[in-house]
Amino acid sequence: MVTARTRGSTTGTQFLDPAVLGRIGNLQLLAKTVVDGFLTGLHRSPYLGFSIDFAEHRPYMPGDDIRRIDWRLWARTDRHYIKLFEADTNANFVVLLDVSASMSYGTHSLAKLDYARYLAACLSFFSSEQRDRVGLVTFDHEIVEYVPPSMKHLDTILHILDGAEAGRRGSLKEPLLQITELLGRKGILVLISDFYEEPDRVIEAIGPLKARGHDMIAFQVMDPAELEFPFEQASGFEDLESHEQIPVVPGKLKEDYKRMVADHLETLKTRFASNRIDYTLLDTSKPLDLALFQYLLAREAMRRTR
Amino acid sequence: MSLAFLVPLFLLGVAGIVVPIIVHLTRRQRRNVVHFPSLMFLEKIPYQEQRRRRIQHWFLLSLRALALALLALAFARPFVEDTELGLGATGGPREVVVLVDQSYSMGVEDQFERSRSEARAIFDGLGPLDRASLVAFAQGARVLARSTSDRTRLRAALDTVQIGGGATRFGPALKVAQTILEESTLPSGEVYLLSDFQRNGWIGDEGVRLPPGSEFTPMPMGHEGLEENFLVTDVALPRQVVAGRERVTPSARVVRRGGTATREVTVTLEIDGQELQSRSISMVPDAATAVAFQPFTLSRPYTRGTVRIGDDALSADNARHFVVSPGAALSVLIVEGAGSSRDESLYLRRALDITADGRFRVSVRRANSVRPVDLEETDVVILNDVQIDGASAERLRAFLEAGGGVLVALAEDGGWPASAADLLPGTIGPVQDRLQGRGGRLGYLEYGHAVFEVFAGPRSGDFTGARFFRARAFEPAEGASVLARFDDGTIALAEARHGLGRLLVWTSSLDSYWTDLALQPVYLPFVHRLAEHLGGRAEARPWFTIGQVVDLANPEALETAGLVATVADGLSEGFDQVALTPSGSTIQMPAGEGPRYLPLEESGFYTVRPPGTEPERPFALAVNVDLEESNVARLDPTQLALQITAPPGSDQGALNVELAASLQREDQERRQGLWRWLLIAALGLFVAETAVSNWISRQAAGAPGVVTG
Repeated sequence: MVTARTRGSTTGTQFLDPAVLGRIGNLQLLAKTVVDGFLTGLHRSPYLGFSIDFAEHRPYMPGDDIRRIDWRLWARTDRHYIKLFEADTNANFVVLLDVSASMSYGTHSLAKLDYARYLAACLSFFSSEQRDRVGLVTFDHEIVEYVPPSMKHLDTILHILDGAEAGRRGSLKEPLLQITELLGRKGILVLISDFYEEPDRVIEAIGPLKARGHDMIAFQVMDPAELEFPFEQASGFEDLESHEQIPVVPGKLKEDYKRMVADHLETLKTRFASNRIDYTLLDTSKPLDLALFQYLLAREAMRRTR
Repeated sequence: MSLAFLVPLFLLGVAGIVVPIIVHLTRRQRRNVVHFPSLMFLEKIPYQEQRRRRIQHWFLLSLRALALALLALAFARPFVEDTELGLGATGGPREVVVLVDQSYSMGVEDQFERSRSEARAIFDGLGPLDRASLVAFAQGARVLARSTSDRTRLRAALDTVQIGGGATRFGPALKVAQTILEESTLPSGEVYLLSDFQRNGWIGDEGVRLPPGSEFTPMPMGHEGLEENFLVTDVALPRQVVAGRERVTPSARVVRRGGTATREVTVTLEIDGQELQSRSISMVPDAATAVAFQPFTLSRPYTRGTVRIGDDALSADNARHFVVSPGAALSVLIVEGAGSSRDESLYLRRALDITADGRFRVSVRRANSVRPVDLEETDVVILNDVQIDGASAERLRAFLEAGGGVLVALAEDGGWPASAADLLPGTIGPVQDRLQGRGGRLGYLEYGHAVFEVFAGPRSGDFTGARFFRARAFEPAEGASVLARFDDGTIALAEARHGLGRLLVWTSSLDSYWTDLALQPVYLPFVHRLAEHLGGRAEARPWFTIGQVVDLANPEALETAGLVATVADGLSEGFDQVALTPSGSTIQMPAGEGPRYLPLEESGFYTVRPPGTEPERPFALAVNVDLEESNVARLDPTQLALQITAPPGSDQGALNVELAASLQREDQERRQGLWRWLLIAALGLFVAETAVSNWISRQAAGAPGVVTG
């Protein structure tokens, strides 16, 4: 059964569930104890630059700004060294949200798109709190909405999320390629989708983004019915995107379906891992904050292994 | 023979066969549609789709169609129409009621045998769908076989019919026939009345009206009256006490009906089964005469007697049976005041002494008290103008409770102790004079009461001549019975019951001092009735008539029947009894509460005794035939038919034929009951269809991705 997403009185603050944010706040305090410097936040900048936190020295090369020569070291060693610092510039944090028709499916209290919107809103807000520049791209078989990363775009993002609707056919390759063109600066990209494509095509679609040096985090949102296939009666099954119908008698087919879905998920997981992409499967029947917690743990692990 | 349907409209239900097919073909349109995010996995699974419009399970479909067809056939109520079972001459199945007269007048010549032959012929002529009932009747009617087509049973029932001793009454039998026809579902009814059609058996319109369309066929069996009939109509049994022993002088009244010349006949008297005397008399045609026999000594209870006259065509009325027992004298104690100066009980004592059979044994006591010894062997106590003490009153209370009788004649000195005032039916007041004019008279008598019942008829006793100059005032208590009042409304005689006994209060005197009643002719029977009533003595009946019923649990009825208590202990107490009928059969009357009726249906002597005993002289009842049956004057059967059948209607016949045809078909269908078997077969097919379809469904569910049709 498809749970239609409702519009109306919902606002951006709907996504900022105090209970959810309470859990995230605790994780934030945990992260502060691990990371040096509160203002730099949890997200480590992919750039090394001149910041207040010393990183290392390197020999002066012609072309370097002479203002960065460590004169005290020159006085002791009579050599020119450049002083390098951890960059203190904020990261770009962009949510890539799949709004194809298959995301409107839901047999639980939430449709997959609702669940994805909540997740995107929470992550954006959290990143904004980290003083990251937050952006949003919604897409199906093309880009639907684009909000460039900015520290001032949180409200716009929440508004766009609030109005996001699913209804058209979806694909990954074309829109992600367009996004690659849009996002010039490296950043953290959170891709939220149900990944109803072959794993090879998914990796192929993500390839250009990854090649531009973006840190990718992939969330696959699935409804319990997609995972368990709890149907009993013979019925006609209609594809939400192509509207194609096929008659299906659940029975032995159920086991085949579950086996194929499990293979698909396992393949995705393997492929994402081999491409150093964080991948998390989210069940819409599970609490959202649990998903965020898993995300933060994954990010922390990613920072340590850098 | 051909297959027909009672309700062919239901055959339209066969069209229901197409229902499973339509359901099958249209079910596709109502298939559920499940929206699913992507079919990328489902499409990879090999599946098989089969077009629903192609019928897969012909066997299953055949089962369903056949079951529906059987269901429709069952509701159409098929039957094999047997055209040989025609409507017959009367237009359809008949409800035949045969009424056979078994009164004793049917015994003349061969009337009864001929009636049985006719009844048998009627039963033989019944059609296969006809039903018949057999009713034997005399005074009452008994249904021996009711509305059956079993001829064997009808013939067997007919063989049990015997001539009885009852009189003919057409009313009850025709009522039974009317009821049978009204309750019948068959289209036509016929009533056959086999009788000698005595005029006495029909008193006019008795509310009998056969249903419309019924046919009444009177079948007279008798001849045109009897040529000659002798009968004993009555036997008088006056008694006398001679030398302390009772002597009975029977006299019989003999009647001769018909005949052509003077004839000598012999009348015999049998006592206890032995001929005692015989008289030869000469009787002219249509005459009656009295035959007096020599007296015989009555020494033993339940002496059976029969007066019999020579044989003739109707022999049942030629004998008159009776039972007599020696009567026990009633012991009467008269208590006078000790200080009385005159013989107050003279008239009373003399009146009680004057009896032909010595019914009263009178003793007088002059005292103001009653001793216990006085009440022994005493039936009635008369307190004649005496004031008794309280102790005596208490003794009388016990005496009353045990069944004794007390008469309180108040007069001038009479009184009653206040301690036992509740025994009296009221309160005694002062003396009231009626000296003005010619004195008071009795203005009201309760003729329904046993005391005055014998005076109810004309010239049976005149109380109006008696004058009363003085009487005691008496205020009746609530519930007291006032049996006589003076012309001014004051009470002359009142009664109260205590236990089994009775107490009467006479507010005047029983001598000639206050009233001249003692000088009137009515005084003697009045005093006798008072004593007999107080003593509880009822007149024993020497015989009963066939059709009467005696309640052997009712002491009064037994007394009327002549029961002598000392030799029939246990009869009224409710012990087991067995009655032996004149024909020798027994009627068991087990012990128990409530009435125990003995129906008297045969002429002769019934004896009643405890089972297993052979008393020398058992309690016996004489039963005689109803003499009305001796009058064989004929009733016109046509007149009877006109009174009990509905006027012929013009449209009734056609309606009956149409109704008969319809009912005949219904009857055939009901007898064959094919619809039941069709329903059972349809049910079996439905069960099989369910089992087969479930099995197919399970098989189909086991196949991957298969959509079955």
